[in-house]
Amino acid sequence: MTPAVLIVDDDRFVRKLITTTLEDVSGFRLLEAEDGEAAIAVAVEHRPKLVFLDVDMPRLDGITALRRLREHEELAGMRVVMLTAGADYERDARAAGADEFLTKPFSPLDLLRLIEELG
Amino acid sequence: MTTSGDTLEARLAQLESELERARKESDAQAQQLERYATDLRETFKAERAQRARLQESYMSTVRALSNAVEARDSYTGKHAERVAAYGLVIAKAMGSRLADDPTTEFGFLLHDVGKVAVPDAVLYKPGPLTDEEREIIARHPVIGVQILRGIEFLGEAKNVVRHHHERWDGTGYPDGLEGDEIPLAARVFAVADTLDALTTDRPYRPAATLTYARDVITAASGTQFDPKVVAAFGDVPDAEFDRVRLETGVRA
Repeated sequence: MTPAVLIVDDDRFVRKLITTTLEDVSGFRLLEAEDGEAAIAVAVEHRPKLVFLDVDMPRLDGITALRRLREHEELAGMRVVMLTAGADYERDARAAGADEFLTKPFSPLDLLRLIEELG
Repeated sequence: MTTSGDTLEARLAQLESELERARKESDAQAQQLERYATDLRETFKAERAQRARLQESYMSTVRALSNAVEARDSYTGKHAERVAAYGLVIAKAMGSRLADDPTTEFGFLLHDVGKVAVPDAVLYKPGPLTDEEREIIARHPVIGVQILRGIEFLGEAKNVVRHHHERWDGTGYPDGLEGDEIPLAARVFAVADTLDALTTDRPYRPAATLTYARDVITAASGTQFDPKVVAAFGDVPDAEFDRVRLETGVRA
């Protein structure tokens, strides 16, 4: 099974940008989720290698979702890149188990570099 | 009345907050799009610089190869370099886009690369050549193309290498192509090659003047050379050719 990357953001536009950017070049299956709850469900089912996780989302925010994801033993080794609107969240996100950060508006080149390094 | 007013106010507040949220989202999207545009621009610039570097490295590779061929031939000196420069001057005078295509210059520089396969005893034989020796020399365009076969970036340059000894009247080699069948770059090259051969010193004769060389080339228009190329060559002022000679170390 091709390894997967999960893109979590409540903004459909951002999800579309990321999937379009990574399509074909990443070699990953690209999965999407629109909030924290959905992200956990998709992650448990597909065990992605890498997750791009927005912080500010309805229903369940990214930091809480990340904390819960880290409780799943079968998801150990899954890398999480936090998409933040500023440096404010970084400490909390780091504590919750984020591996990397991309500050919004993020650079697509950084996105591609990240997936090359982490993938 | 009050109740309905409260409801209306609450509804209004809700709409305002939704509007605010939509506005924020739209701002964020615009900023994100701008970031993509910035990255696209920077990527384009980097790619353009990379392309220029690649082109330079193609050129220095071609020059190195051409120098390797020239190093063997003491008397022709910078023949390939001069012929390439003459050829480009003539191509420009024709108003042809050949001069803008780097593979044209590559071909001019590498035309004789196949001579590495011709033995010294044949290439530098002082006296007249036997038929067999002439045949050996005549193989150099085809051998040249074989040597360069795998180099994709040379493109059209290989056509110059193969056809630089064809003649307009079809009596040249290796394929006996005639007229427009001969690639234009090879037709231009033929004139440039003769120009340089005549205007540089050889072991058996001194260099001829440019005026004399012009007469010889004009006289061979329509037989050895493409008349259109000869006409364009005729339009190039002496100063242009003198500049090339100066730059490549030949006494004007």
